[in-house]
Amino acid sequence: MAGSAAVLEDSSLLSRLDRMLLPIERFGALLSGLAIFSLMFLAAYSVTARKFFGSPLLGYVDYIEAAMPIIAIMGISYVARDGTHIRMDMLVNALSGRILWLFELISVLLMLLLIVGLTYGAWEHFDRSFDCARPWCSRDSSIDISLPIWPSKLVVPIAFGILTLRLLLQAWGFGRALVLGLENPVAVPLSLTVAEQVMAEAKILEGAD
Amino acid sequence: ATEWNVSVWGKRRAFTEHVEKLAELVSEKTNGEFTMNVSYGGLSKNRENLDGISIGAFEMAQFCAGYHRDKNRVVTVLELPFLGVENLEQELAVSKAVYAHPAAAEEMEQWNAKLLMTSPMPQYNIVGTGDPRKTLAEFEGMRVRATGGIGEAFSAVGAVPTSVTATEAFQAMESGVVDTVAFAQHAHLSFGTINEADWWTANLNPGTVNCPVVVNIDAYESLSDAEREALDSSVDEALAHYLSNYAELLKRWDAVLEEKGVEKVELAPEVIAEFREKAADPIRAKWIADMESQGIPGQELYDLVVKTLAEAKSGG
Amino acid sequence: MEPIEIGIYVSAGMLVMVLLGMRVAFAAGLAGYVGLVWLRWNGFDYDPERFWKAVEISTKIAGLTPHSKVSAQVLSLIPVFIMIGYLAYHAKLTTALFEACKRWVAWVPGGLAVSTVFATAGFAAVSGASVATAAVFARIAIPEMLKVGYNKQFAAGVVAAGGTLASLIPPSAILVIYAIIVEQDVGMLLLAGFIPGVFSAIVYAALIIGIAVIWKNVGPPVTGFTWKERFESLPPALPIVAVVVIIIFFVYNPFGDAWGTPTEGGAVGAFIIFLMALYRGMRWPKLKEALLETAKLTVMIFTIIWGVLIYVRFLGFAELPDAFSEWITSLDLAPITILICILLAYAVLGMFMDAIGMLLLTLPVVYPAVMALNGGETVAAADAAFGMSGQMCAIWFGILVVKMAEFCLITPPIGLNCFVVAGVRDDLTVQDVFKGVMPFFVADAVTIGLLVAFPAIVLWLPSLAS
Ligand code: NA
Ligand code: NA
Repeated sequence: MAGSAAVLEDSSLLSRLDRMLLPIERFGALLSGLAIFSLMFLAAYSVTARKFFGSPLLGYVDYIEAAMPIIAIMGISYVARDGTHIRMDMLVNALSGRILWLFELISVLLMLLLIVGLTYGAWEHFDRSFDCARPWCSRDSSIDISLPIWPSKLVVPIAFGILTLRLLLQAWGFGRALVLGLENPVAVPLSLTVAEQVMAEAKILEGAD
Repeated sequence: ATEWNVSVWGKRRAFTEHVEKLAELVSEKTNGEFTMNVSYGGLSKNRENLDGISIGAFEMAQFCAGYHRDKNRVVTVLELPFLGVENLEQELAVSKAVYAHPAAAEEMEQWNAKLLMTSPMPQYNIVGTGDPRKTLAEFEGMRVRATGGIGEAFSAVGAVPTSVTATEAFQAMESGVVDTVAFAQHAHLSFGTINEADWWTANLNPGTVNCPVVVNIDAYESLSDAEREALDSSVDEALAHYLSNYAELLKRWDAVLEEKGVEKVELAPEVIAEFREKAADPIRAKWIADMESQGIPGQELYDLVVKTLAEAKSGG
Repeated sequence: MEPIEIGIYVSAGMLVMVLLGMRVAFAAGLAGYVGLVWLRWNGFDYDPERFWKAVEISTKIAGLTPHSKVSAQVLSLIPVFIMIGYLAYHAKLTTALFEACKRWVAWVPGGLAVSTVFATAGFAAVSGASVATAAVFARIAIPEMLKVGYNKQFAAGVVAAGGTLASLIPPSAILVIYAIIVEQDVGMLLLAGFIPGVFSAIVYAALIIGIAVIWKNVGPPVTGFTWKERFESLPPALPIVAVVVIIIFFVYNPFGDAWGTPTEGGAVGAFIIFLMALYRGMRWPKLKEALLETAKLTVMIFTIIWGVLIYVRFLGFAELPDAFSEWITSLDLAPITILICILLAYAVLGMFMDAIGMLLLTLPVVYPAVMALNGGETVAAADAAFGMSGQMCAIWFGILVVKMAEFCLITPPIGLNCFVVAGVRDDLTVQDVFKGVMPFFVADAVTIGLLVAFPAIVLWLPSLAS
């Protein structure tokens, strides 16, 4: 799909950490997918109940709003792992070697700066709605059926926390590539042309065997 | 010079006139030293206005209690169905009394907010499409756009409250997602639900929503004495302007109904009595029990409303 | 410093970050975040002691935005529309559609290419995302065209261009996004996209026939299908028609009240296609794959949405959109000239950016300006510069910018659809696809020109519904 790229693997600690994080990220994305899937049933159920049985689903909007953060944010780190988050790679594709790794490193560090800030801000947003001295720990509730909102707010700092780990690994990966002058660093999304080169080389090697 | 950001939503309408007037008065009284920049949705989503005040994102904001009952349990007493409020002056009086209660102030303090004034609104009567619904049996299964206590009241008689946002209410009605919409008159006008309606209940008067205007406490305290004085002294004047502006709108209301061909439905007193009996008492009892169990003086707050309302009725 | 100045510096900084290859969502989010801090600290007169206070407030504002902005019921349309496309692929509806189009229209000059355009248009009616459409048809249609001797580049270009139709013909994720940013009725916009989308498809088909007639070497017509074969090809593609009808009736029912909201229509459509896919043999592994793909695209889009909305929140505090509309309306040029300049600016910007990012980044500033140009949000048609009411202008402009955004999916150097087609096909380079898609620039220019000159093409259907 759009913009995805290859992530190389080897037996280094960095690559092992990368592969340890991946199942967690994939699980997050799957949660997002399943939430979308249930959204379909919920809406189909709601419209059937309303149209044919005259008994609409109470709190329909509240349920959807509660599910949206899972749908929209839970998979963010999975998407970041292979670089699917869209970018303009015209300039980056023209670079190579240490200069490329430097650009990638700066880019990842800026993302890290943003996400660390947002993780804190999103946690605070959750914390404002959470007070266990109250029923259901709720200090903020939904409009129709007074569903506690804190669980849905908690999704965001969790997802951003995982993304923070991912960005730390990518910063390490690009930093290592920059310092060591690597050609094919592991655990980082390689832009398409680099990945193509690697694959082309791999094919040549296969042919030589 | 002090500049405050004020977060409201929608478009400028009768519902925001007191905020606009307040900004105008404060600026006049301080010779432009203290100004307010009223933003319609540019600074926050309406349901996050209290969060914004708590953070210090802006200095003044408006919100409605029913959007998030757990954030503002105390003031939801004003959204209980069938309190018997008859006009905006009475609504203003009861709101003022509740806002002055220590429990209300304390709960708002947790959000770093101070209750400044209410946005008094008339009873939320419903507009609907198709044949008028005149009995409780006809409310059964009715999809009604209503929030807070009014929503609960309708659900007590078997209707299904669905809260689409005010801006989506028209489309929800047009597409049949809801059959009826409960709004104050100004909102029926400004959100276009009146254009889609066949009828409007003139005397159902199930209750209203309560929408306070609050200020950030730190910002309020860091005002100079002159600025604070200008702000405090302008509240009553701003509300007076709001009331007279709303009165003009209500005067036009009957003409609007006629022009749009909307039938004015009067429900029989026994139907209203039955509705009140099914909705008002159980919901109030549950509300008081809920509040008391959370350490909020529910009974005291309710009694305060009743007492203030009686005084307002005998005084007016 | 004036807030507007900060607004301009921060916006410029964001563009630099985007150009240097930072992921668009994060560049926008960071620009907004830094901008909020700067603006707040500026308000504190750069008092060093209050710097951290400024950071704290801004962090909390930025940090509540992702949750606040994504938890809106209307946004649930986007994932549902995306999922429909993936499910339809697994329900093998795409193949059925292509087969039907082939049997019915492949006899014309450039027949298979024309069939491809109509099949992508048909698939567009169940798919909300252009890139997904291009990816699917690169697998189905290109081999068929190559088999009968089509020029490889041209075949790839047809698919890349055809894919763009998915964003005009409802359901369309990008139209929903536009409606949300500018706070207009989603149903109306979806309705408005229908005729321009079909119109675009017809212009593409006319172009292909023209090329085939003049140059002859594009590819031969495919003939010899009997009427029996033609009618036999219809039933497998029928569910698409059913879903289209359902979605349309949810938005606009010519015989009475609409059936519900667009989200519900999308969900019911998705449900039907899901049942089809089950029937055609989709089981959990395939479903899981489809859900992961749906989630990936959804999260990617939503990240841009909330990232940009942090930036928009900052703009709100900086009052930049107001300043820009004042400037635009003060220009001494005819409104239509300004509008055309804006569209040309989108064409240039679209060369370098992806569609959703471009719309999200620019609309908060450009949309109020266009509305002001027409005479305001509530202007009546008679007093308006473009001769249409505020609401109609919002719809018209929406279709125009979405068409521009679609155009940018096929223009070099960053044309996502072309990348996707090249990515799916091993035998094609990106350059091949860009070469093949070139003729369609002409078709798109013609379409946009006609939509500007005759707004009725866009506004006829929504005006019936309102
Ligand atoms: Na579509
Ligand atoms: Na492009």
